[in-house]
Amino acid sequence: MYWLTKEQLLLLVKKLAEEYKIFGPRHDRVSGEVIFDHLSDWSELDLQAAIPYNPPKFILFPHYEEILKYRYQPETKEVRIEQINLLEPKALIGLRSCDLTGLLCLDRFFLDQEYVDEFYLAHRKKLFIISNTCLRPFPQCFCVCTDSGPAAKDGFDLDLTFTGRGYLVEAGSKKGLALIADLHLPEAGPEALTLKKKIVDDSVSSFDRFALENKAWISRATNRLTTGFIKPEVWEYIGNQCFECGACSFVCPTCSCFNIEDANLASGETNRLRTWDSCSFEGYTKMAGDNNPRKPVEDRRNKRFFCKLSYSQSKKYLRPGCVGCGRCARVCPGDIGLPNVVTYIRREITGESGE
Amino acid sequence: MNKSLVPIVSIPEIATIVDIRDEIEEVKSFYFTLDRPEIEEAFKIRSGQFIMCTVFKAGEFAVSLPFSPENDRKHISVRRVGKVTAALHRLEPGDKIGVRGPFGNGFPFEEIKGSNIIYVAGGIGLIPLRSSIVHVLQHRQDFGRVILVYGAKSSKELMYKESIKEWQATENFETHFTIDRPEPGWSGEVGFVNHLTAKLDLPVSNTVAFVCGPPVMFNAVIKELKLKGIKEQNIYSTLERHMKCGIGKCQHCAIGRTLVCVDGPVYTYKQIRTLGEQI
Amino acid sequence: MPYYRGICNFCGTGCGHLLRVEGNRVRGVYPVSGHPLSRGRLCVRGWHIHELLQTEDRITQPLIKDGGSFKPVSYEEALDYVVEKVKKLSGRQLAVLGSPRASNEENYLLGKFARTILKTNNLSLSSDAGQEESARVLLEGCGWPAMTGTLAELRQADFILVVGGDLTKQNPIIASEIHHAHRGGTFLATISPRKTQMARLSQLHLRPRPGTIFYLLQGLARVLVEEKAIDDDYLSRFTVNSQAFLDELKQIEIEKIVELTGISREEMTELTEKLIESNSAYAFYPTGVQSLDRRTMAALFNLFLLAGKIGRRGSGINPVTGISNLLGSYDMGLSPVFLPGYASVEDELAWERLENFWQTRLERWPGKNVDTCLSEEKDIKALFVVDHDEEIIRHVNRIRQLDLIVYFGAYENPFASLAHVIFPRTSYIEEDGTYTNSERRVQLVQKRIEPPAGVRPLWKTLTNLALALGHDWNYHSVESIMGEISQLIPYYQGLSYEKLKTRLGLKWPADDLHPEGTDCLLVEEAGRRFQFVQVNGQEEKLTGEPEIQKEFPFKLVVGRSNYFWHQNSVMKRTFIPKREYNALLLLYPRGFVEISTEDASRLGLREKQMVRVVAESAEVRLAARISGDILPGMLYIPYFIDEMIPEFLHRQVADLEKNEEFFLPVRLEKVV
Repeated sequence: MYWLTKEQLLLLVKKLAEEYKIFGPRHDRVSGEVIFDHLSDWSELDLQAAIPYNPPKFILFPHYEEILKYRYQPETKEVRIEQINLLEPKALIGLRSCDLTGLLCLDRFFLDQEYVDEFYLAHRKKLFIISNTCLRPFPQCFCVCTDSGPAAKDGFDLDLTFTGRGYLVEAGSKKGLALIADLHLPEAGPEALTLKKKIVDDSVSSFDRFALENKAWISRATNRLTTGFIKPEVWEYIGNQCFECGACSFVCPTCSCFNIEDANLASGETNRLRTWDSCSFEGYTKMAGDNNPRKPVEDRRNKRFFCKLSYSQSKKYLRPGCVGCGRCARVCPGDIGLPNVVTYIRREITGESGE
Repeated sequence: MNKSLVPIVSIPEIATIVDIRDEIEEVKSFYFTLDRPEIEEAFKIRSGQFIMCTVFKAGEFAVSLPFSPENDRKHISVRRVGKVTAALHRLEPGDKIGVRGPFGNGFPFEEIKGSNIIYVAGGIGLIPLRSSIVHVLQHRQDFGRVILVYGAKSSKELMYKESIKEWQATENFETHFTIDRPEPGWSGEVGFVNHLTAKLDLPVSNTVAFVCGPPVMFNAVIKELKLKGIKEQNIYSTLERHMKCGIGKCQHCAIGRTLVCVDGPVYTYKQIRTLGEQI
Repeated sequence: MPYYRGICNFCGTGCGHLLRVEGNRVRGVYPVSGHPLSRGRLCVRGWHIHELLQTEDRITQPLIKDGGSFKPVSYEEALDYVVEKVKKLSGRQLAVLGSPRASNEENYLLGKFARTILKTNNLSLSSDAGQEESARVLLEGCGWPAMTGTLAELRQADFILVVGGDLTKQNPIIASEIHHAHRGGTFLATISPRKTQMARLSQLHLRPRPGTIFYLLQGLARVLVEEKAIDDDYLSRFTVNSQAFLDELKQIEIEKIVELTGISREEMTELTEKLIESNSAYAFYPTGVQSLDRRTMAALFNLFLLAGKIGRRGSGINPVTGISNLLGSYDMGLSPVFLPGYASVEDELAWERLENFWQTRLERWPGKNVDTCLSEEKDIKALFVVDHDEEIIRHVNRIRQLDLIVYFGAYENPFASLAHVIFPRTSYIEEDGTYTNSERRVQLVQKRIEPPAGVRPLWKTLTNLALALGHDWNYHSVESIMGEISQLIPYYQGLSYEKLKTRLGLKWPADDLHPEGTDCLLVEEAGRRFQFVQVNGQEEKLTGEPEIQKEFPFKLVVGRSNYFWHQNSVMKRTFIPKREYNALLLLYPRGFVEISTEDASRLGLREKQMVRVVAESAEVRLAARISGDILPGMLYIPYFIDEMIPEFLHRQVADLEKNEEFFLPVRLEKVV
C-alpha cells in the first residue's frame, strides 16, 4: 500500500488525463445530485460525495448507442456496412465497490459466456479503474448483504481509502503499479493494513439495522426464489404496484437487457441502434404476430427478481446479480425496489402483517 | 458447442437473394447465397439452427433454417407477420439481405442414429423440421422407421408440397396427412394432428419424436405421444421467441433460466416442462 | 459527454431529468433525485425522451407549398409570403392554434401576435375544452384557476379521491405520489367506470354507470348534508352562497341517485365519512383529453367546498394536466375566453390594462376556439398553427379550403402537410424557455444543444413576422420575454431566469408576498370568499329511451385515457414507448372492443372472436377483448384504433372523444 495526499490526487488525475478521458462523481449544486459523469473540469471530482445516483454502466453499455451504420442502394444493390469503433481510453475514478462489482458482473456476462459481445468489448478494452472505499453507508445501501462492499476486493487498477488526512492506495494491476511509480508515491507501513481494516470494519458496523437484518433475509429470499416457493399472491401484489417504467433495470449496475432497432436517417444511411431495455415491459417478449408468452405484469416482475437473485443466474456472474446499491428502491414509482421485495417475501415467510 | 460453426457474430454478412418461391399464402421461401466466397464456403449449419436476417432499412429478425446441412440450397421460409417480414416479402431476386449466424444448438443427429424417428408438424411448424427430415433422408440407412405426421387447417396450407413429393419417393418414408375440415378433392384424413397421431401405429421403443407447431397443437400431440409410451426426454421441439441479438446478450428470449438463442432453440420436452414458464 | 439537468417535456408532471449530451446529440436520460416533485423517478415515456430527440423527421428550413409539394425558401421569402396574404385578411378571418408543448414565452408571444397584430380573438389550444372548463369552474369557485393544493404534502394526506381518467397512465409520477401515500396509510377512493390500476389499489372503488359521475357527486354532497357532517362555521365565514346550494341539494333524492348510478348508499356514506373525518384531503381529476365535463368538475369542487377542504393547508382540489405546458399555455392567455393571467374577456378594465401594456388598440369581439371556428365559422380564411398533434385532423376538409395555413413546427406531421407555408422551430432543448406543470410549478429548461443549422426559435420567427408586418417588438432574448410576462401577469410577477436558474422551479403565484412561490391556496390569502359553482342538469333524462335500450343494449365508450399516447405524433418517434404503447394493438392487429367477462360468458364469446358492433348509423368488425376492467353492459373501444376503423368512429368521435362520460347505444353481434 501507498500514500496519496489530497493534493497529489489532482496530479494523479492530470497524469491519467494525458491518456484517458476522465470520469468521476461530481455534485450538481442546484439539485444536490451526485452524478457519475465525464469531467472536463477535474476540480469537480468529488471523492467524498455520496454514491452517485447513476451507476457507471452507461460508459460501457450506453443508454443509446449506434453499433452499426449501413447504406443500401436498392437500385445498384450495393450495401456498405460500417462498424462504429469506440476505442477511446477512459479512466473511471472513484467507483464505489458496488458499482465496481456491477461492472465485473457485466464483464462476466458480456465477455465470458458462449459469445463475446464485441460492442461491449470495444468500450471495455482501455479502461483504468480507481475504486473508492465507502467510509459509511448511504441511505438505502445494503452492499454488506450482497457481498459487494463497502470496500472493493478486486477488479480495480487502483483502490483508494480516505483516512482523513490522505488516501491509502492499493494497486490491483500492473497499470496501477506503474502509475504509482510514475507519481513516486511513498509506500505505507504495515500499520496501513490495520488502519484500512479498521476503516472498513467501522463502515460495516454503521450500516443500519435494516440492512444488517436483511443480510440473512436476502439469502433466504434467494433460496425461495430459486426453488419457486413464493406464493403467486406475493408476485401479484408486487405486479399491482408496478408502473412498467423500466427504471429498475436502467439504474441497475448489472442489468444488461437491450433492444436493437434500425433507424433510417435523412442521409439515406441506416443506424443500427442498441438501447437499454427492460424485462418489465410488456412489449419485451412480444413476438410479431399474435403471441406474448409472458403477459401478466407479475410474470415480468417475477422474472426480474429471479434474474437478480436466483442461484442459476448467479452462475452467470459467479455471484448474485444484485450489488446492494439500493438505486432500484430510489427510482421505483411503485416502491418495489429489491429491498422491498425481500421485505414482502420475508412477510410471507414469517406471516408478519404489512405494518 | 462447436464454435467453428459460427462464422458471423456481430456484423451481418451480405447475401444475395437468388430465387423466391411462394409456398402457401403469406409464406415465401427466399433462396440466398453469401456474397463473399470464403463465407459461403464456411457457412455450415446444423438442423434446427437459426440465423438473424437483416432486411436492409427495415430491421433484423430471427428465422429458423429449413435446409439440410448437406447438399441443399440455402434458403429461409418466412411468414409475413410484421414490419420487417413484410419488407422481406417485397424483395425480389437480386436484392440483398444481411445474415448473422447460424446460432443455436440444433437437433441431435449423430446421437439418434439407429433410432426410429417420428416428425409431427402443424402448419408452418414443418419449416424448422424440414432441415432434419432432409438430412435424415440423406442418410436413410442410418435410421429405423422414419415417419412424418403433418396437419394443416386446409390443403392449401400444407407447406413444402414439392419437397414432400420427393421425400415420398424415398424408400421407407411413411407420411400421414390431415386437414382440419373436409374439402372437395381431399381423400386423406380430416381432423387435428393429435387425433391422427393417436390413431397411428407408431414405434415406441428406440424412438425419438420431433414436434413442431402452434402451442395448442404442440401440447395435444405431446399428450398423445406420452400416452403411447414415448419418453419425455426423447421428444424434441424447437421454440420461437422474440430475439434481438442471437448470441445470448439481449435476453429477450429468456425462458426461465435458459436463453432460447444459445441454450435452444431445440429442447426436449423434459427440459421444456422444467423451464418454469409457460410455452 | 456530460449530463445536463432539465425538465421532461412529455406530460404535465414536469419531472426533473438529466440529459446526456454527446457532441450535439442527446444520448441518454436519467432522473434527478433532488427534484421536489419527481424525486428521482421517471415514467416509461420520460425514460426514453432522448429517442424522440434523436428523430430525423425534423423540419429544418422554411418551406412554401408549390403545386403539390413543398419547396425550400429563405426566411425572407416565407415572411413575405405570409405578409402578402395576411394584409388582405381581417382579424375575424384568422385563427391561431397554439401548442401546449410550447414554452410560456412562445405561447405568450403567439397570443400577443394574434391579438395585437393579426387583430384576432380566435385563438386557442386544441379542441379539448377540459382545461378551460376546469379553470373557469375553479375561478368561479375560489378565484384560483389551477391546483389549489400541493403535491409536496400528499404523503401526509388522510384522504385522496381520484375522479375519472387513468392517472397512472397519463401522469405516472403524480400517480406514484398517490400510490405512495396510499401504501403509507392514506385512504384512497376512486370514482371511475373502468377498473384502472389505481382503482384496483383503492380501498374504495365506486364504479358508476357511464355518464353518471356527476349524479354520484351530487349524491355524495346530499349524503354529506344528511349525515349533518358539514362545518357550518367554515361555510358561513368563507363562502357566499352555501344556503342556496344546500337548498338545491335538498331536491335530490338519494334513491334516485342509487338507481341511476348503481352505487349503493352505504358506499356513498363510506366515502363521505372518510372525507369528513380527514384533516388533509385531496381530490384529483384529469383535464385535457381525459377530462370530466364542466358540471362534473363543478360538482366535485362543490363537494370539497361543502366538506371544507378548499383553501386549507394540506387539502385541495387538484386538476392534473396531461401535456407538459398545458397550464402555462392558459396562464399566457392562449384562449378565446381568457386574457393573459386569466382576466376575463368580459372584463372591460382588463382590456384597457392590456391595451395600455401592449400600447395598441385591441379588438373586443368574442373569439372562438379553433375547433369551433373550423366547424362553424364560414368566414375563417387563414390559420396559424404551432407544432400540432393530429387531433384537429378531422376538420381536414375544411382546412383544405383555407387560403392560408402557416405552420410553425419542429417535426413533420400530417397537419404540416396541409400548410401553405412552414417555418421550422427549435425543439424544447434547443432554446431556453419556461414550462408550467400541473402543480403551477414554473420550471426553466435551458438550451442544451444547438438546433439544426438555420432553425430559428419560435420567438425569433414571430418577432421577425411582427417586424415584417410593421411592429418592432425589439426582443433581444427569450429572457426578455419572461421579463415582460412578469410585468403583465401577477402570478408570474416574482419570476425571472436569474431566479429560476438556481431553483428547481417555483410555484405561482410568485410575487412580493411569496418570493419563493406559493404551495397552496389559503382561505386567508384568497382575497375573497369562496362560492359554490352553478351546476344544472339534475333534471336531465336518466337513461336512453327504452326502445333504444332494447335494440342497442350496450353502452359503448370510446376512450382515450388508457391509450391516449398511442396516436400522439410525439410517441410515434420513439422506439420503446411506441412498442409498449402498441403492445396491445400488436396482440389485436385488427383492433378490439373490450367487453366484460360477465357479458362475454353470457353471449358465449371467446377471447379474440370477431364481433360486429352495430350502432344506429354505422357498424364495425373488431376482435373481442374480454376484460374484468369494465362493467357489464359497457363496451370500450380505445380511440387509437381510429386509424383502422375511421368510418365508424369518425361519425361518432366528435362527441365521444370529448370525455368518457359520453356513450353510444350499440348492440353486439357475433360474426359467423
